[in-house]
Amino acid sequence: MTGSRRLRVAFVGKGGSGKSTISGSFARLLARRGEPVLALDSDPLPGMPYALGVAIDDGPIPDDVVVEGPEGGPRWVLDPRCDADAVIEQYAATGPDGVKYLQFGNLWGHASTLQRAQHAWSQVVREVDPDRWHLVGDLPGGTRQAMFGWARYADTVCVVVEPTAKSLHAAARLLNLSTATWAPHHLVIVANKVTDPAEIEAIGARLGRPVASGLPLDAALADGDRLGTAPLDVAPNGAFAHGVEALIDHVESLDYPRDMREPS
Amino acid sequence: MEAGIGSLTRLGESAIDVTLVVVEPTPRSIDVARRGLHVADERGQGRVVIVANKISDDADRQRIIGAFGDRPTVFVPEDPAIDAADRRGTSPSDDAPDAPGVQAIEHIIDGLGLPDAVRG
Repeated sequence: MTGSRRLRVAFVGKGGSGKSTISGSFARLLARRGEPVLALDSDPLPGMPYALGVAIDDGPIPDDVVVEGPEGGPRWVLDPRCDADAVIEQYAATGPDGVKYLQFGNLWGHASTLQRAQHAWSQVVREVDPDRWHLVGDLPGGTRQAMFGWARYADTVCVVVEPTAKSLHAAARLLNLSTATWAPHHLVIVANKVTDPAEIEAIGARLGRPVASGLPLDAALADGDRLGTAPLDVAPNGAFAHGVEALIDHVESLDYPRDMREPS
Repeated sequence: MEAGIGSLTRLGESAIDVTLVVVEPTPRSIDVARRGLHVADERGQGRVVIVANKISDDADRQRIIGAFGDRPTVFVPEDPAIDAADRRGTSPSDDAPDAPGVQAIEHIIDGLGLPDAVRG
């Protein structure tokens, strides 16, 4: 990947579709290629640590590096003595394969308890050096955060869809992201838990777009899920891992506006 | 409700009679369910019943019991009939009313002790 722009990818989809499983594995496999990867988790009940194999529970950016913002600006901002690089260095966890993992927070009660951490997380995502890190993000299930622009850091958004009516319904709505002012350059359909190639065709027909990647239903992953073991640790050479490798290749191969592809 | 606990945190206190916390036998799901329990207890959201879903064996049962102790718990077995209905986009209770998973869900209603007028 030398000489090309870093990837900025986010995963959306209905709850349970496999966003966290795929995004965490995507981040690790990309890191295994020798690339610097920052995994961004904006789910207040995060699943990405399990997929990454990161031993972390509640790990928000601490309130003591967040101060009141300027009048007319964001309510909370990072302490000026602490920039995005410093936050990543100090508060992002380091997981297997060297992935750095930055959490939005982990909710125990009302979302207001995470307000400072949430603002700080958003500021880091806005200000992170795009030439330094590949960004791989995981959003909560459903459409809310996606429609409010939480994936605007990504130029490729992967819509993860299971071959079920509920999941297809959510995916169809998420494809409306293409009309948003912050629309990503690419919306990529990722079919997950596929048991029959015909399901991939049916998903593509229903959504009116080609499916870029079809990942298999894998009983080993479900077993790992029960034990809290990351997919790449339970089935490192399985069809799922190979499918995610192919997805990375696909995202890398996409065309981006010329100015975005130029090396820094 | 919406997945997660956001909707639960936005309800008024004591707004509902019974909270069913649905949990799969995985560490991630158990973690979320613990948070849901915490909010339901704190905000007085009625009687709380754990609905342990996709239970395939005794190890799964023990994971749930280990996490939630003596909380009232209903176990719903992993059931291919429910998965198949999901893929078809149909209701499991229409497609496979006698399937073990559907029967277990029916027993949840029995266990809540609702008056017939409420149950319909």
